[in-house]
Amino acid sequence: MILGDLLDARVTDADGRGLGFVVDARFALDGPIDGLLAAPRLHGLLVSPRTATSFLGYERNGVRAPALLARWFRWRHRGTFLVHWSDVRWVADGTVVLRAGYERYSPGLTGTAPQQG
Amino acid sequence: MSLPPDERPPGRILDARLHLLDRQVLDVDGVPTCTVDDLEIHGLDGSDRPDGTQTAVVTSLLSGAVLATRVLGGRPPASRWHRIRWTHVTDVGTTVRLGVHGDALDVTWTERWVRDHVIGRLPGGRHDPG
Repeated sequence: MILGDLLDARVTDADGRGLGFVVDARFALDGPIDGLLAAPRLHGLLVSPRTATSFLGYERNGVRAPALLARWFRWRHRGTFLVHWSDVRWVADGTVVLRAGYERYSPGLTGTAPQQG
Repeated sequence: MSLPPDERPPGRILDARLHLLDRQVLDVDGVPTCTVDDLEIHGLDGSDRPDGTQTAVVTSLLSGAVLATRVLGGRPPASRWHRIRWTHVTDVGTTVRLGVHGDALDVTWTERWVRDHVIGRLPGGRHDPG
């Protein structure tokens, strides 16, 4: 699979309800050692309910400047969430289907929930 | 509504679009080799279309002629990608560093071809200008 199969894909829950679009994929360098580094393990997908694009990850970190831009991007990506790869039921034809009972997590890279704009 | 924070995995975290895609790839001598245009992902069991029941890992960085597809849409066919195995990656930062020479990679074949068949045939094209 190529990452491009996942990025921008439509995300639905198990009942087919649209949840948004994959704006990014999160990897953790804790896979099997492959050369000098561990292989990046696909940890989860970042899903935005409104847009398939993301600008510089404003919605994922604590950047607050320039204030107008930061506020705009956080507002545009309000409701963005991280879903673990283990909650993905299948991927096909530009659609990612999550399993029933999937969990939503904060997309923040710092481990704290971003403020909603 | 505030969401619960994710339990941070033990390894370093990389968001593909933020930390990997479009990054310049430098070889072991620091020579620019290509950019990361996409990533190839396989299941640990070797599956090329893993789902959530399988652990999925990046096996290769992909580079290719993506300008046209970025403008017009679509994606290059799988056969047109050049693959750099993750095994060769030594560091991920502002750039992606490799532990091998760029000349050893398929991704630089066009540069080598132009060097050997075009530049090398120009007068003075086969020695250091310095």
